[in-house]
Amino acid sequence: MAQAAAPTHGPEDRAHAPHGPQGLLKYLWSTDHKVIAMQYLFTGMAMALVGGFMAYVFRMQGAFPGRSVPGFGVVTSGQYNALITNHGSIMIFWVAMPILIAAFGNYLIPLMIGADDMVFPRLNRLSYQLFLLSALVILASLVVEGGGFGGAWTAYPPLSTHPAYNLTPLGASLWIGAVALEFVAFLLGGINFITTLMNARAPGMKAYDIPMVCWMIVIASILFMLSVGPLIAGAVMLFLDQAVGTGFYDPARGGDPILWQHLFWFFGHPEVYVVLLPAVGIVLEIIATFARKKLFGYKLMLYTAVATGVLSFFVWAHHQFIAGIDPRMANIFTVTTLLISVPIAELIFVMIATLYGGSITLTTPMLWALSFIAEFMIGGVTGIYLGASGSDIYFHDTYFVLAHFHYTFFPIAIIGGFAAFTYWFPKMFGRMMNDRLGKIHFWGTVIPFNFIFIPLFITGIGGDQRRVFNYASFPGQAHLAPLRVMATVALLVMLAFQIFFFWNVIWGLRKGPKAGKNPWRSNTLEWTTDSPPPHGNWPVDEMPKVYRGPYEYGHPDRDDDYWPQNLPA
Amino acid sequence: MTESRHPDYRKIYFVLLALLVISVAGPFVGIRWITLITAFGIAVVKARLVVQNFMHLKWEKRIVKWMLASSLALMALFFTAVAPDVMKHSGRNWVNDAALAATQRGIAAPGAEGGREGAAAEPAAGAVVVAAAGFDARAAFSTICASCHGAAGGGDGPGASGLSPKPAKFSDPAFWAGKTDAELLKAIREGGAAVGRSATMPAWGSLYDEAQARALLAFVKTLARP
Amino acid sequence: MRASRPIATTRSATGIPTGRLAVWWVLASEVVIFGGLLASYLMHRLGHPEWANAAAVTNTWIGAFNTLVLLSSSFTAVLAHQAAEHGDGKKAARFLLFTMIGAATFIGVKSFEWYHEISEGYTITSNGFWSFYYTAAGLHALHVIAGAVIMGFVARDAARGRELQRVELIGIYWHFVDAVWIFLFPLLYIAK
Repeated sequence: MAQAAAPTHGPEDRAHAPHGPQGLLKYLWSTDHKVIAMQYLFTGMAMALVGGFMAYVFRMQGAFPGRSVPGFGVVTSGQYNALITNHGSIMIFWVAMPILIAAFGNYLIPLMIGADDMVFPRLNRLSYQLFLLSALVILASLVVEGGGFGGAWTAYPPLSTHPAYNLTPLGASLWIGAVALEFVAFLLGGINFITTLMNARAPGMKAYDIPMVCWMIVIASILFMLSVGPLIAGAVMLFLDQAVGTGFYDPARGGDPILWQHLFWFFGHPEVYVVLLPAVGIVLEIIATFARKKLFGYKLMLYTAVATGVLSFFVWAHHQFIAGIDPRMANIFTVTTLLISVPIAELIFVMIATLYGGSITLTTPMLWALSFIAEFMIGGVTGIYLGASGSDIYFHDTYFVLAHFHYTFFPIAIIGGFAAFTYWFPKMFGRMMNDRLGKIHFWGTVIPFNFIFIPLFITGIGGDQRRVFNYASFPGQAHLAPLRVMATVALLVMLAFQIFFFWNVIWGLRKGPKAGKNPWRSNTLEWTTDSPPPHGNWPVDEMPKVYRGPYEYGHPDRDDDYWPQNLPA
Repeated sequence: MTESRHPDYRKIYFVLLALLVISVAGPFVGIRWITLITAFGIAVVKARLVVQNFMHLKWEKRIVKWMLASSLALMALFFTAVAPDVMKHSGRNWVNDAALAATQRGIAAPGAEGGREGAAAEPAAGAVVVAAAGFDARAAFSTICASCHGAAGGGDGPGASGLSPKPAKFSDPAFWAGKTDAELLKAIREGGAAVGRSATMPAWGSLYDEAQARALLAFVKTLARP
Repeated sequence: MRASRPIATTRSATGIPTGRLAVWWVLASEVVIFGGLLASYLMHRLGHPEWANAAAVTNTWIGAFNTLVLLSSSFTAVLAHQAAEHGDGKKAARFLLFTMIGAATFIGVKSFEWYHEISEGYTITSNGFWSFYYTAAGLHALHVIAGAVIMGFVARDAARGRELQRVELIGIYWHFVDAVWIFLFPLLYIAK
């Protein structure tokens, strides 16, 4: 652990001399933030395939109950529960967070603030290793005896604590263990990101010169860090209930299952903003670049994001409106929940105001960014019905809720993920992707997406309950079956169109035109170095200095319509 | 490096030890309030001394104080919001009596005429509709029972559509033939299975005590129609 | 595998050295972890007056002795920091060693205490009070052990005159562990 006190770079090496592992070992043991970012990105994408496959299976069961699913077989009730549980857990913890926060945070933050790496590279590596371990544990939980945990990603006791109820004792313990490991990995990673942003900025980069996506990722990390604590305590208690037979959540033993709900949702609600804010940051970067326009209000955006984060701690019990909480408590949480829609709506307004009057180019990343705004808005407004406790009494646990959160999570994780990937691909790999393939992939994803979840809003209003294994048991709901089938067919179409993405990635890597340093003519610092950047990001004596903010597009004093941050005045 | 702001650590250490002695001695006085103040008040003082002086928070940049204050504030928020819920739960079904009472008050409020159609006839002479002090059996019936048994006790509530056998039809005289009060009270408090009927009828004993169940039964009897 | 220290680590736009800033963030997250656990304990304890019978069993003298041990170890930790600031790595290492001895004493006393309680039949599943007691004190003890281990590495480096700034950092963590116990002691031992 000890290391030399004096830096090993002398003035004679312009580039950071290669050190650390080389060759294949580099990919396993590197501390370079860009390598670690790639590790998170590809692990997240692999887990997305797993989560997506699970969705395929349970949607087939939902639309055609009892029929054998191609590639899986006949779905049993226990398997169905495990599929929906792990789909939710995997998509949130092993896809959305690693891609949006860990991968792009790791990649972008040092580059965008003009640093040569994160402040704690070895801690960074440890974070990834813990994360990888957590992914392996959750995958293992699916194949152990008894099968994967099936108590929903919310894991309410006593279902999650008593093997007699959940029938998957080993799966349940591995599930909570995987989640706990993932939490620790992201706590460590978050400390790295926050400290790096606070301290390691390039000379001349003031707080308001930091690109918005960096702020968003760091605010998200702070939100995560402050909200996850009680749930970690709760997870320890859950595990003890499962493994040792304590009664933390057992009223017969002096415990309380509602305590778990509070502990879970105290984290669970800020968690959705933990993933939302980075997606918003990504979209803002893309919009500014492809509208050639300054952000409508940098400080406004920043303070709104902080306000959203703070408010997000005051709304959690809207997930518990029908859990038997006091109606007076429900009143309070209704008010706070409806209040939080205000700053979020404001974020959307700022995005639209930024676009207004801009010189817009509809590249593939820009299409993804624009569709984020449209689709997330639908998700947001449908949340109003759920935030008001009166209407939530009807909607809770119906497919209306499910459609609402997919209309928020899908834009966040999938649209935001593809937006970031297509925008920064040239920087990460040094080549351009094919814009035509990119657009086919885009339309083939976004249009079917709407045909999956709009039908599910309707079935939810019509009374379809969530987490139902076989709708044949509910003859009263039979008239909604065609909508369920429509949703499933749309999913199949959407999954099929993902082929264009993989094709595009391979094409880009092999045949894409060389990207050069700044193909999008953007202002932020990552575009001032090579594509891909070398180890250390810039030569040692050419580390950037910053002279202005990140969104100086169309400035009257310039001939060019952009003004990189590192150019002296 | 902290710019050499080193207080007299030895003095602070001895103060901490003295506080420890006081906090241990507190319970011996025997007065509950003194014990609590010495135990927890001193804990706060000791922690503050450690944090300010040993951890040098006193001389640290303001942002750090904000970070820690936020963490503590969130813990206070968590406790304040959750304790009133969790601490009100009782029994094996974590019944929240305060919440239930608030719900019933809301439903029974003037203007909330929901469950009254069909049950408008005068109660039979001598029937006791409100038995236990403050317990409104009519409101309880409309809140809890009517969803299956129907607002007028016709066995046709909204929740009955999926049930088989159908819920008991109080308005049907055939239901009452041969039934004793004891049996009916047992059904209410211990569930249908306890009296050899459908287990879909839950046991309401954790919600309604003996007196309240009698009041409910009295009300249900008013729904019987020839 | 040795990586050289990046330029990023040496920068300090906030004026707070990076390592110290990171330790404060670690503490902020630990506050909410222990806070969540202790808040849960508190609301159950207040809601279950009958737990007083179980709480009466904990030995206040042992708890007080352990508090004394931890307070003293915090004292030696801050003296280690003072020595490190004056550049005296060997003295710092010696004080850190005393702190680690304090940690070992704490764990030793706790082991004896728990062994005694468990053999009397008070296990983690005995009732709600005991579940929280072992979980909270256990989580704390894990932090004591982890802290002592890391302290060992820091002391080893300090004795060789290296990375002296880390003495302050492990000290800050250690004082936090002490502060948590300052609250655990009345919660589990005095409030009967």
